[in-house]
Amino acid sequence: MRLSYLATLALSTLIANANIAEIVEGMPYVEVEADGKTYKIERVQKEDSYLTNTFALTSRPSPPFFIEPFTVSDGVETYGELEVLDFISKKKGLFIDARLANWFAKSAIPSAVNIPFKLFLSETPEREKVLKDLGGEYAKSGDWDFTHAKTILLYCNGAWCGQSPTAINALIDLGYPKSKMKYYRGGMQSWQLLGLTTIIPKETK
Amino acid sequence: MKIIAFILMLAVVASAGKYDKVKITPDMPYIYVYHKGKAVKVHRIQNTKHKLSGEYAKIYRPGKDIQPIKTHKDIQTIGEVEVLQFMSKKGNKKKGLLVDLRPKKVYKKESIPSAVNIPYETKDNKVKIKKILKILGAKRKSDGSLDTSRALDIAFYCDGLWSEKSPEFIKTFLDLGYPAEKILYYRGGMQMWKILGFTTVTNK
Repeated sequence: MRLSYLATLALSTLIANANIAEIVEGMPYVEVEADGKTYKIERVQKEDSYLTNTFALTSRPSPPFFIEPFTVSDGVETYGELEVLDFISKKKGLFIDARLANWFAKSAIPSAVNIPFKLFLSETPEREKVLKDLGGEYAKSGDWDFTHAKTILLYCNGAWCGQSPTAINALIDLGYPKSKMKYYRGGMQSWQLLGLTTIIPKETK
Repeated sequence: MKIIAFILMLAVVASAGKYDKVKITPDMPYIYVYHKGKAVKVHRIQNTKHKLSGEYAKIYRPGKDIQPIKTHKDIQTIGEVEVLQFMSKKGNKKKGLLVDLRPKKVYKKESIPSAVNIPYETKDNKVKIKKILKILGAKRKSDGSLDTSRALDIAFYCDGLWSEKSPEFIKTFLDLGYPAEKILYYRGGMQMWKILGFTTVTNK
């Protein structure tokens, strides 16, 4: 009798400290590292939480906003949240928020770096620097050689946002291998709809 | 003169209504599908201030695991654009069926147009499953295998990203011998459909 009381007490203490809403059963949260900091990504634990910010908006004017196809291009894998978490926690490559800086500044997924899609669209010194940072090199022909380039995972606002698909298509045109690019289509909208952690990124540079 | 001006004005107003300012894709502002014998226009909510509220805006989901992007190596996962293509190329031509796996009560309240309801729990009811396979055009051969050469394509959906109903039901269908190439998984489900402002219907 007494034992079962103690067991119940121990169990309830355990539950009080644990996440009730887990990412998946047995995975209460995921830790990711970026800029020497560790971020804990988990799901909302507060009962009766609803999405009420601008990501609850259902309709945005077209153009520029349309519903994006599930796949950007054959060969570029589309990721969901579990695949994103695996990618960033195991540091499988560079995690890129392809939105314009004003979107990124408001909220983003922890560990993402902001490379706005527009940067990929025209030949500029900024683009050259970014492509080199990604591991691109100039071949003898003058074209880009991405043989040693990093694997990158790109996202933007979500299913209604063309910013990361535009960046991916621009990179395909430059010769970036499709197998080294991943697309998180759900983006900020699905991420928040699942109650996953977002951060307000600090000013960098 | 006044009358002509008035008619012209009416014409402008009427034609403006035809063109959605919130579109689906650049080439597809809307499509028509058949829902219970009636044509339904599927497009998006045109009020750009409209926010999703209610049950599907809820973000606290204890005990609801986030589902992987792929439920099975041979099953294709699709998004909204592909669901619409499925509706017009398969559903409208009676070559495919969009299946809502949520409980009857919630389906009655609201569903995706053209969807039929097969509540998730049906998967454990052998008699009902047998009937459903027959309706889908799959025939059990004398050797026990399933002849699906003339069976319909199916696109399954449920509540969405955090619901295991579609993944589990798809597993059941694969075990029954339904071919993977005839099954699609709309992972976004009712929640993504609604947060993107797509048309829904009631099933009273």
